[in-house]
Amino acid sequence: MMDDDHRVLAGLKVFELSVAVAAPCAGRYLAYHGADVVKVESRVNPDVARLFGSAWARTEEYLPLFMDTSPYLPEMTAGKRSIGLELKDTDALAAAHKLIEGCDVFLSNFTPDALERMGMSYAQLHPVNPGLIHVMMPGFGADPELPYYPFRAFGPNQAPLVGLDALTGHPGEEPAGIASVAPPDYVAGMHAVVSILSALEHRDQTGEGVSLVISQMETTVSLLGPYLVDHAITGRTPEPVGNRIPWAAPTGVYPSRGHDRWVALSVSDDAQWAALAALVGGDALADPGWTTLEGRVAAHDAIDEALGTWTAAISPAEAAARLQAAGIAAYEVLDHRGVLTDPQLRDRRVYDVAPSVRFGRDLFTGHPIRMSDTPASVPWAGPNMGQHTREVLGERAGLSETEIEALMEREAAFGERVPEMTVTRPFDRWYEIVGLVGDDGAADGGEES
Amino acid sequence: MGPWSGNRVVDLTGLAGAYGTRLLAALGAEVIKMEPPGGDPMRTYAPHAPGVDGPESGLWWAFLSAGKKSVVIDRSSADGEAQLAALLATADVVLDDSPAGLQDRPVSGYSAVRVANPATSWIAITPFGLTGPRRDWTTSDLVAWASCGLASTIGFADSPPLAPAAPVQLAMHFTAVNAAIASMLALRGRRRTGRGQLVEVAIQEAMVSMAPETGVPLFLDDQVPRPRAGNRRPVTSPFGLFPCQDGYVAILALQPNHWQAMARWICDATGNEGVLDEVFNDIAVRHEASEAVDAWTEELTLAATKHELFVEGQRRGIPITPVNTVADLRGDPHLAQAGWWRDEDHPALGQVQVPGAPFLVSHQWWNWSVAPTLGQHTHEVLGGL
Repeated sequence: MMDDDHRVLAGLKVFELSVAVAAPCAGRYLAYHGADVVKVESRVNPDVARLFGSAWARTEEYLPLFMDTSPYLPEMTAGKRSIGLELKDTDALAAAHKLIEGCDVFLSNFTPDALERMGMSYAQLHPVNPGLIHVMMPGFGADPELPYYPFRAFGPNQAPLVGLDALTGHPGEEPAGIASVAPPDYVAGMHAVVSILSALEHRDQTGEGVSLVISQMETTVSLLGPYLVDHAITGRTPEPVGNRIPWAAPTGVYPSRGHDRWVALSVSDDAQWAALAALVGGDALADPGWTTLEGRVAAHDAIDEALGTWTAAISPAEAAARLQAAGIAAYEVLDHRGVLTDPQLRDRRVYDVAPSVRFGRDLFTGHPIRMSDTPASVPWAGPNMGQHTREVLGERAGLSETEIEALMEREAAFGERVPEMTVTRPFDRWYEIVGLVGDDGAADGGEES
Repeated sequence: MGPWSGNRVVDLTGLAGAYGTRLLAALGAEVIKMEPPGGDPMRTYAPHAPGVDGPESGLWWAFLSAGKKSVVIDRSSADGEAQLAALLATADVVLDDSPAGLQDRPVSGYSAVRVANPATSWIAITPFGLTGPRRDWTTSDLVAWASCGLASTIGFADSPPLAPAAPVQLAMHFTAVNAAIASMLALRGRRRTGRGQLVEVAIQEAMVSMAPETGVPLFLDDQVPRPRAGNRRPVTSPFGLFPCQDGYVAILALQPNHWQAMARWICDATGNEGVLDEVFNDIAVRHEASEAVDAWTEELTLAATKHELFVEGQRRGIPITPVNTVADLRGDPHLAQAGWWRDEDHPALGQVQVPGAPFLVSHQWWNWSVAPTLGQHTHEVLGGL
């Protein structure tokens, strides 16, 4: 940490024992705001994000560095330090415990019984570090008495469990589900950040440590609040309604000119409806019964048809621009190429480029909380697997060179593989071409701090 | 007592902030929700409690406003603006989701408030940011999903793209939790600097940050489009939703041990021994043969209920879950035994079971007082200025 580091969480020490998304998502928020987040990794059981690798790296030449190549890695680990420790080894485990003794936050989405076996439950760690903030992120709680406690779930099948997939679809079709993304991972990750920042307040006020359990099921089910309360009162269960919502009609996705091109729009009041009717022109939307929300909800299908005729004749970008000019919420339904070329995302520099030992520089999604006085940033992109093992075990766990060497000797600890081997991502030259990097040199490679 | 007690938060937001200020209130902050004289629009959002008239019947309001205070101010009058400015100057944090062009109003915008009280932080929630060519564009939950790339990947190839769980308004809640985190960071930062600050949370950016699947780095790396593929993910089989007697189950057999357990289960249940052939241990072979593997899987799933499949599949070590409805969740044995639900005595709604805390903590933090009636705290709060 630099002395002139003004980021809000500078000086905070975090031990992250994590896989995939939920816990890394939380650690990433902390790293962006200045925390020293140490991610513990294993070669025996690598994080699935390491195993994804990159399609272009499946060659013999690149195989030694394959596990550093997934574009998910900078997404999840930018600004963190990576250390390689095989915690099944007792000395490696002891080194991990020494690290935790000096940490403010222990963050893990390993199962509670796995943590207990490693002596890393709250009850086990509290005596050695009474001020520790201990965060577990299990799928189904931390109480072995509960019926689903031993069950396993990954992000993509937590969403159906907590009711999201059954509400995703057009009426009368089978549920579409949410296969492409796992909202519960991010819901849990962000609630973990809320809980950690609250626990830091608690600790500062009382000196007490805090145990936190972010159970993905409970955390995500919370977001169904109004419908759970409605069911408690009336017994009603919501059905999938496509993209519609009862308080803003029409709301929907409409076909545009071109193959599989669409524009999304929402009309949130009667004045916007009048503006839309004027924009579309003629008498397409002139039905006097449609001037009220009630009327539009009742005639949604007919409105969709009339509106779809208008949108189908123009490009989605033009439709969105004309609708927004009339004060109506609208956007092209962007696909990957659309995100890549979106003028707003580009103007706002939503993607970050930072130095990377492996790639010289690397690209990842930036942070959504923009603080004017204490801006978030990360000094480097995703670390190589085991890149910081020696420095962290030395500085933070107080191990001697000899002790570190002994751990590495029998593969209880490991450093990075082929550190001398660097490569440029095949798309590196794209950063300038698509305008992700400006002329200010913000993304120039340069030395790692 | 919650860790944020002693902090005053003034809430000028709608759906893009309300879940976040609910968290702040539940964790101890004094959250003052400003309402116009006719009541906040969220009060009108369906569903409503039957038999309850007026502004207290809305269940979105009841859920999102728990723990908050309601203060009515008529912002359309100069007096109202002055009153609001005085209130904002007493705040530690203000959350505002006005359009970008309205965030810096002369009397009650962030510049004026920070002159009046430099310790106040202002969380500006906007559709697309305070800057950029589309700063004045408006949004909605659906528009937010469209603008981050994810909607294009959800749904069936032959029907329109979808927002995930549209009735839940997830994009709004994602943004709101980011705004709560922003508030907490601003308060923590003030300890060091003594000053408040302006913090931006753009809804489009909040969504992009949880959507690496459609983001630029992944796309540049593999150049593979991710079209809508319905409820089965074209990665391997079985992966996705499968019909059963009373609905659907979600199965995700990615790891070799998951598939082997799945194959054994199919064989045990249907007598299909071909499924045990080692050739299918290869994830790519199952992808090639997904039509057959899917059909064998359906033979198993169609013979049982989603809860039976959930419990038996999990017992066998397979990541399988039921596609639950709200009714299923209300009857879920895990949530019930966890003691997750809270019984609330609500003055308008009566005795009602409501969602419990979103996470567990080793201390008594939670404040779950019921949502305020319209203007319930106007006198108390404005009288104290």
